[in-house]
Amino acid sequence: MQKSEATHLDRKGTPAWGALTGRLLGLLLGVAPLLVFMAVFFFWPLWSVLWASFQDNYGTFSLGNYIQVFQEPYLSAFKNSIGLGLISALTSSIPGAILAYLIESRGSERLRRLVASVSSVLANTGGVPLAFMFIAAFGMEGSATMLLKNLGVNIYAGDFTLFSFTGIVFVYTYFQIPMMVIVFSPAVHGIRREWQEAARNLGASRLQFWSNVGIPLIFPSFIASFLLLFASAFSAFATARAMSSGTIALVPLMIGNLVDGNVFVDSFNLGKALAMGMVVVSALAMIPYLIIQRRAARWQA
Amino acid sequence: MNLKRIVAVAAASAVALGMTVAIATPSAAATNYCKVTNLKAAGGMDALVKAAKKEGQLNVITLPRDWANYGEAMDLFTKAFGIKINDDNPDGSSAYEIQTIQTAPAAKQPDVVDIGVAALNGVTGAGRPSLFANYKVATFNHIPTEWKDPAGAWYGDYQGIIALAYDSSVSPAPTKISDLTNPAYKGMIALGGDPSGAQQAFMSVFAAAIAKGGSATNIQPGIDFFKDLKKSGNFTSVVANGENYVSGAYKISLSWNFNGPGAIASAKAAGKTLKYVIPTDAVLAGTPYIQAINKKAPHCAAARLWEEFLYSENKGKLTSQLTKADLKLSGSKLFAKIMGGQNIFVLGGATPINKDAMIKAKKIVDGPAGLNIPKGAKIIQPNPDQQDAGKKLVVAQWPTL
Repeated sequence: MQKSEATHLDRKGTPAWGALTGRLLGLLLGVAPLLVFMAVFFFWPLWSVLWASFQDNYGTFSLGNYIQVFQEPYLSAFKNSIGLGLISALTSSIPGAILAYLIESRGSERLRRLVASVSSVLANTGGVPLAFMFIAAFGMEGSATMLLKNLGVNIYAGDFTLFSFTGIVFVYTYFQIPMMVIVFSPAVHGIRREWQEAARNLGASRLQFWSNVGIPLIFPSFIASFLLLFASAFSAFATARAMSSGTIALVPLMIGNLVDGNVFVDSFNLGKALAMGMVVVSALAMIPYLIIQRRAARWQA
Repeated sequence: MNLKRIVAVAAASAVALGMTVAIATPSAAATNYCKVTNLKAAGGMDALVKAAKKEGQLNVITLPRDWANYGEAMDLFTKAFGIKINDDNPDGSSAYEIQTIQTAPAAKQPDVVDIGVAALNGVTGAGRPSLFANYKVATFNHIPTEWKDPAGAWYGDYQGIIALAYDSSVSPAPTKISDLTNPAYKGMIALGGDPSGAQQAFMSVFAAAIAKGGSATNIQPGIDFFKDLKKSGNFTSVVANGENYVSGAYKISLSWNFNGPGAIASAKAAGKTLKYVIPTDAVLAGTPYIQAINKKAPHCAAARLWEEFLYSENKGKLTSQLTKADLKLSGSKLFAKIMGGQNIFVLGGATPINKDAMIKAKKIVDGPAGLNIPKGAKIIQPNPDQQDAGKKLVVAQWPTL
């Protein structure tokens, strides 16, 4: 930009505002669809939720909703939802990352393509159908339960139940691990074989390569993928609702009851304040990523 | 002076008379059905049917076909009057109904709503704009005073009683709520949703409270009961619905009695035998659901005809019994020939709001077998304030059950 301004000045002695604005206009036109999309589907809903969250149910300004957010049962709901997000991200990101590495480094091109397409199908399975699949397979009379029983393994002999916190984490792995494979594979792909060979030629052990080169290289991507998994488990609604009947305090379920229930119809805006709480948690979760990304960018550049 | 006055009075009355005539004539020719507040003002049943037929459609909202026999009611209305019914989001909630009235564009507005008392209390009351149009159905006087707005803005329509629903394979068969602690029922018991959000599940907890020594003002024993059931592993938090039942995820649930006939039929189609019984240790009646005509109704005549139909106490023909000859009858004769909505609710297992008047006039049909209230049982019906108090406890304790 500065350069072109200088040339225009040199040539005519006055800045060529016409050319400049034309260029700006072109740029604006180019990004306009994105801006409109963001405005309609992101900023406007965000604003309307924020606006309503500061009102009582009859449209008067109030901080009452936010005062309630910091009280029970909503406080434990936030703790549980954040816990669910972290545990689900942890249990899925590590196996997912190892799987991605194995497929990228050892797998044939055909296997890689197969895994990619299977993963994208599985990663998009969610909601009530996902819950139902697991109920039909691993419920008390599920087909997998019965099969295992015939093989002499009764998964219900102990305290196991699908309808618990652990059960939900288990069900979420079904879409979380494939999602990890999808988002993490490009990062693994970025580690070139030449680097490994170069390190080995210089006498580095495999462990040294990974600890000094490999892991630092892919760590920002790993954290980014981890956060994506965190966000999807943190905000997932329908599966948890179908499996828990509300016996586990989770923020999305409480929002659901407040804005779309038969028992409460006078607390829509409390639901919106809870939603803003989720926005804040998601935003805070981005901070460690930004820090790591900035540090990584310094030596990657 | 005297003469002048007489002339003036005469002239004035003539003008006034002329004006009344002038106003009366066009209004008789084109009734504004959106302002009509009773059948007489609508010009009688023939005129109302004619106007509703002309509109040709009725927008209803969140009416599941297997809920309180609404499927039959909708089919009969459509067949008799040739009015197409659009049912928006059949499985939606009362909150969805209210939000749709508040936000949907004109053509997508529901004509009539069927909402819970909690939803009604959330939108009515002093200082809040009325969402509903006043209309008094022909049987308005039969509706108990506490369940209707004096001006006809809303009125109760039917109510349910919490029943035990169980698969025929369950042994021993439960007959009361306190039976549910039986270790033989491990992992078998479910509720129809989260009691903090689903009225049916919430009232099920209330029923458990009654069975365990609680009352309309004390829901705590019900919460404790489910806490124990969860601890023993009998209560599974899977949502009680048709698919989960068929897949074997649960075998026993608590449910409104008026969902029985529909659920039994669906179970039969899937090769299962589902049974309903009113528990002997708790007869818990819900508060009636509420009917109201939307002030912004796009089909004003059809909305009013629908309400007349739902509150009709006729013993008459069902959809499958209507003949071609019946359909050629005039509006009022056809209306008198079809089964009234109040009796359609009875056939679905629900208690119609006009029950007392219908029994007195011997106009009530027999309900489905097996859903009888145990003899001598005391019916408990928590009022909206008692429900509000119960809700607070459920919301605080259920998430850590």
